[in-house]
Amino acid sequence: MRGHKVEQLGIATVGFFWCFLMWFSTATFSPSIAATYHLTIKDLGLLASSAIWMTPAGRIFAGWASDRFGAPRTFAAILAGCGLVSIASAFTTSYELLFAERVLVAIAGVSFVVGVQHVAQWFDAHEIGTAEGLYAGTGNVGAGVGALFLPRMFGTDYRSAFLWLGMIALVIAACYLWRGSSAKTMERRDAVRRGGDLRGMVFVWTRYIAIALMLAYAMSFGLEIALNAWLPGYFARGFHNEILALGFNGVAGIQIAAGTFAAVASFNASLFRPFAGFMSDLFQRRGWTPLPFIAKELSYAPRLHWLAIALILIMLSMIGLTVAGLYGFLPWSIAVLVVLGIFVSFGTGGTFALVPLLFPDRPGIAAGFIGGISTVGGIAYPLIFASSANAHVGYLYVSLYMFAPFIMFYFWAARYERNPQEHGLLGRALAGLSSAPKPS
Amino acid sequence: MNPIDIRVAPHEPWYKYGVAVLLFEIAVAIAVSGYSLYVTFNGLGGFPGEH
Repeated sequence: MRGHKVEQLGIATVGFFWCFLMWFSTATFSPSIAATYHLTIKDLGLLASSAIWMTPAGRIFAGWASDRFGAPRTFAAILAGCGLVSIASAFTTSYELLFAERVLVAIAGVSFVVGVQHVAQWFDAHEIGTAEGLYAGTGNVGAGVGALFLPRMFGTDYRSAFLWLGMIALVIAACYLWRGSSAKTMERRDAVRRGGDLRGMVFVWTRYIAIALMLAYAMSFGLEIALNAWLPGYFARGFHNEILALGFNGVAGIQIAAGTFAAVASFNASLFRPFAGFMSDLFQRRGWTPLPFIAKELSYAPRLHWLAIALILIMLSMIGLTVAGLYGFLPWSIAVLVVLGIFVSFGTGGTFALVPLLFPDRPGIAAGFIGGISTVGGIAYPLIFASSANAHVGYLYVSLYMFAPFIMFYFWAARYERNPQEHGLLGRALAGLSSAPKPS
Repeated sequence: MNPIDIRVAPHEPWYKYGVAVLLFEIAVAIAVSGYSLYVTFNGLGGFPGEH
């Protein structure tokens, strides 16, 4: 196969970065769109939430497609399709049509699982954590970079922004097709292509360890996107008086303060992600397996332990967020949020350091399932936060009633000392697979 | 995945550049966190220069 793995990592990272820019560009320009079409708050909420409508189902399909047709073709198709619709949206004058077009552009968010599959096809087991972390962490920064620079470059002219974003996406799509290569070796590519059928999908979806990793990703990335949406409102409501006391005045001042505090979790969750992958590699290299119950003999057992530590830390810091909020001491809350963002990155980086190792013949399908279904957390957690009588205790409820059972299930599913992926809701034969399991 | 023993597998040349990138990203994250904490402790309204 042509190419070098660092070049493939670079192509995937640039593609994902640009997809993330397009994914959240609608939100960045929502005030300008609202002013142009005289939108209400309700309309704005609908526009903001539409960004993740297509993600769960889209990632499942994209993961399967990357196994079946190869990551370069799948990624280029996503970039080109979303780019063309983005260009079309720059010339649209009807709000209904613009809304539909931006929902289609948001499909760019499904590209994450395609890049995960692409990187997994090129990097070996001893460096997969750092490679996947660099890909996902650097790509995720596209959301923050877009929010920071797009309004400064284009002002309120969202049409020009959508036009340029779309045109550059077409260029990146062409580069991806030109330089991208599906896998390091033909054997690896063919093995994955053979595994990318419906039976392979049923097999992955019914594995206990795949479900445990999906819940782990819901605890980390699902929580990350939930906090992105929830935290500005939480700080504005839960610390209103404290923010006023800091010298922030009026609605605009409180929005600036709340947005600045909320950005802490988002930045840390994205930017510490490569470090999380590096730590997973380090655990693996040193052979650290400190926790009880979880397997210690598997070739990737230390990575399972690193992820379990991350999940426990996420749960504890969520409880800490409730405690800090109930005390009403804003600096404590921000400090807890700093560590929560870091721990979330440990969870996201730790999960995708494991996925390609557990399902080497179906990395795309597994990434699609784990990365897709888990985004439902982004919708579910804010609903629980909002339904709590006190703004601060929602984190405690989510920790105790969701995260604690998720962690216990993870410990249970990761206890097998041989082939954890062989244990599931359906037997191997019922899942349509008859070949003997590979030793792990 | 190649079934190599990770405990003895040497790092490839790209790895040190990868670690350099991740350290840079950590530095950016620490700067953003430090700024937010600075604001909460010092009570400055708005971004620097806008107060």
